[in-house]
Amino acid sequence: MSTTAMAARHETAAEHHHELGFIRTYIFSTDHKMIAKQFLLASLFFLLVGGILAAGVRWQLGFPGRPIPLIGGLFSDTTAPGGIVLPEFYNAMVTMHATFMIFFAIMPLLVGVWGNYLIPLQIGAPDMAFPRLNMFSFWVSVPAGIIMLAGFFVEGGHAGAGWTAYAPLSTNPEYSGVRMGQVLWLVSLIILGFSSLTGAVNYITTVLNMRAPGMTWFRMPLPVWALFITSWLVLLAIPILTGGLIMLLFDQTIGTGFFAPATDGEPLLWQHVFWYFGHPEVYILILPAMGLVSEVISNRSRKPIFGYHSMVLAIIAIAFLGWIVWGHHMFQSGMNPLLGTTFMITTIIIAVPSSIKVFNWLGTLWRGDLHFDTPMLHAIAFVSMFIIGGLSGMFMASAPVDIFLHDTYYIVAHIHYVLFGGSLFGIFAGITYWFPKMFGRMFSPRLGKVHFWLTFVSYNLVFFPMHNLGLKGHMRRIYDPNQYEFLQPLQPLNTFITISAFVLIAGQLIFAFAFFWSMYKGKEAPQNPWKANTLEWTAAPTPPPHDNFPGGTPVVYRGPYEYSSPESTDDFLPQDVPPDRVLRPEIPREPSPLPTGD
Amino acid sequence: MTDTQHTTPGAGHAEGEHHEAPYLLIWAVLLVLTLAEVGYAFLSLPKFWLALGLIVMAIWKALLVTLYYMHLRFEPKRLWVLATAPLPLVVILIAAVLTEF
Amino acid sequence: MTTHTPALQANMMVPDSTFEPGMQVYTMKLGMWVFLLSEVMFFTSLIGSYIILRFAHPDHFAQPGVVLNVPLTAFNTFFLICSSVTMVKAFAAIQHGDQRWLKLWLLATILIGSMFVGIQVVEYNALAHEGFVPGAAEYSAVGREAFKAGLAETAPVVGGPLYGATFYTMTGFHGVHVTIGVICLIFVLIRALRGHYIQLDHRGVELIGLYWHFVDLVWIILFTIVYLI
Repeated sequence: MSTTAMAARHETAAEHHHELGFIRTYIFSTDHKMIAKQFLLASLFFLLVGGILAAGVRWQLGFPGRPIPLIGGLFSDTTAPGGIVLPEFYNAMVTMHATFMIFFAIMPLLVGVWGNYLIPLQIGAPDMAFPRLNMFSFWVSVPAGIIMLAGFFVEGGHAGAGWTAYAPLSTNPEYSGVRMGQVLWLVSLIILGFSSLTGAVNYITTVLNMRAPGMTWFRMPLPVWALFITSWLVLLAIPILTGGLIMLLFDQTIGTGFFAPATDGEPLLWQHVFWYFGHPEVYILILPAMGLVSEVISNRSRKPIFGYHSMVLAIIAIAFLGWIVWGHHMFQSGMNPLLGTTFMITTIIIAVPSSIKVFNWLGTLWRGDLHFDTPMLHAIAFVSMFIIGGLSGMFMASAPVDIFLHDTYYIVAHIHYVLFGGSLFGIFAGITYWFPKMFGRMFSPRLGKVHFWLTFVSYNLVFFPMHNLGLKGHMRRIYDPNQYEFLQPLQPLNTFITISAFVLIAGQLIFAFAFFWSMYKGKEAPQNPWKANTLEWTAAPTPPPHDNFPGGTPVVYRGPYEYSSPESTDDFLPQDVPPDRVLRPEIPREPSPLPTGD
Repeated sequence: MTDTQHTTPGAGHAEGEHHEAPYLLIWAVLLVLTLAEVGYAFLSLPKFWLALGLIVMAIWKALLVTLYYMHLRFEPKRLWVLATAPLPLVVILIAAVLTEF
Repeated sequence: MTTHTPALQANMMVPDSTFEPGMQVYTMKLGMWVFLLSEVMFFTSLIGSYIILRFAHPDHFAQPGVVLNVPLTAFNTFFLICSSVTMVKAFAAIQHGDQRWLKLWLLATILIGSMFVGIQVVEYNALAHEGFVPGAAEYSAVGREAFKAGLAETAPVVGGPLYGATFYTMTGFHGVHVTIGVICLIFVLIRALRGHYIQLDHRGVELIGLYWHFVDLVWIILFTIVYLI
């Protein structure tokens, strides 16, 4: 605990032209780094909420009809009388687990945190293009979160129609018993849309117009590329969802009949509108993590990322193709078969750019000088788990196979392999890697590794068996699988998954502890502990002050992946070192000429 | 009328982005197109030709507003690329879902 | 009393040369264009759904003019186009440093824009009175002719609930956008009155202009496909 670290952290106020009080520094800040940390704390909270809901779901599946231990008495009679989960509450937990995880945890963690933190720093800008809009972007998400939480406490309980809110279950309270909960769900997400949208406008504009001199497009680090392309997806997909949510809200409140069959509405229209957003959404949930992981793998292998240009083109290809595959979520909906076949083909094609990325990560690791720090462990886990998730995706892409797999636990397995094995491990990699930059201290290596291994092992024990469950016909979102005789033999597997899930969730407490402990007691970080090339490490102090670069806007001379470059004696070559200041290896002399022969 | 009326399209000034279009002329064209649309809508033509003609006129008006009032015509070509980005997505959504009906 | 702060560069209406050449337009303008792209997608969601529902259930919709008041709305359309002209004239004025006409044209735009919303509200009232409402259970439109002839109770219902639902949702959200535009225009006018805009820096005027023209553009599309097709 030194004075320099303390001084560095409180630099925010002192370095600025005028003193900013506590409120303007920590609460209503326009500094992208502080906003990123606000998103970080808020979304880690919602990650916890989502995890608790998962525990509730797993309890019912693992120990059906048994009272929730310890806290069972806390539940009301409408949710879990005597601690025994009711079907309606189970549906709400399933719905809300996904809703909180997707919209309030993963999206803000990937886009809100890393978009905000990394974009200006990695492109050499002092802040975002629109700092006040950025502040608005965070604060508008707060009422959205509160409204979503409020849904648990209204009459009828929370929305239970799944995070996909299919009509007519979501339009007609007489089918689900839920009225207010669904309305609050809709209102919350409509408000949250504004947060995402304003964020996207900021990120796109900043990357387009505020890159430091020399930071040409193909010298941008991959996290920036990924976040930039993701922001386009957010910009163009979220408004589609907003329109759909509004129509659904009108169906629920003023009795319009957009999606309800009783009024000649079209349930299939809801599905198309939702998934037209929904598929780009899942790429929003993975692309930034891919960017983060590329950075970590390259740095911790001390090697340039293999195939930088193809990595960029793959991100763009995924984003483009992602718009024309949405129907693969609807193979069993009764849609036009010709349309279905088209979607099958496009979905199979989209595996190609993702695979290119996987091969490039492997190519980066190959014969690298590998440092298995915590971020690297998470990054390698990302690659391997993403491979599994991608492979299960290939099965689902095939419409005839999907006939059997749709709405089973096979899908749940796939989702969690890409969202947890992919996105969340990517997030952990990002947090542990950039932790020193954000907080001036290293994330505890020991606690980090304990957390990693516990998470990695228990996570696979939870989700891999779900492939089996699905293949045996175990459907998803089901309260009581034992009502079907053919599923009864699967109960032990469900119980096993539940126990593993409790270990997994408990293991995250280690992360939470390590996070806060490291913030105050972690080893003080040097400016560039990972010996990285990118501007946030080389041109900005750790942590960076307001306006990021005390020496003014940096000038960029090369790409971000010059690790183990022959040009330099060091195993890294930062982007902003002028060519005449590079530590060059001694130029070997020409071999002396051979003695004259014939 | 004001003295700020320049009727030469694309007449730039030396130091900056002073591109002006014949705003009043375009306004007149928009008015004529609006009247034409209303008249056209009540002709006894097959539905297909009615819809097609109206959509063409609407797009024409939209282009005039975008290119001249929003000055897209005088902006760098890169902005054109950006501005037209959502259009394929619009077409894809509507066209794909229409195959259902 | 001007609140205009000295610009870091002489002309704020050109890109910031501190950075790599980006889109070659100044950042705030770029931001507005990017935002408007998201608005295109929002209206696509609503208008696209309308198109699809119309193809799926043509019997829910009516011939042009039977239920909706085409002459009034045609006038309103023309009106909104006029406001686009006044807006662009305001921008042209400040481009030449003409403060007086900037304010006058802005005021004209505000007045016309407010009239547009007002006429829409009047129209909504009349339609609702005639039984043309968004709610399915209450939908009982018989058409303007039948209503005027006093046959509201006896004449057959024209179209179906989807007509009302889509109509009010699309035009309603357009109206919300116009209203927000008018409020922003008032802010811009207040700033103009304080001398905030100068020939070298009138970005706010250009930005609200872009938004306002976009709102007009959406209406051009809406008027055609909702009222005329």
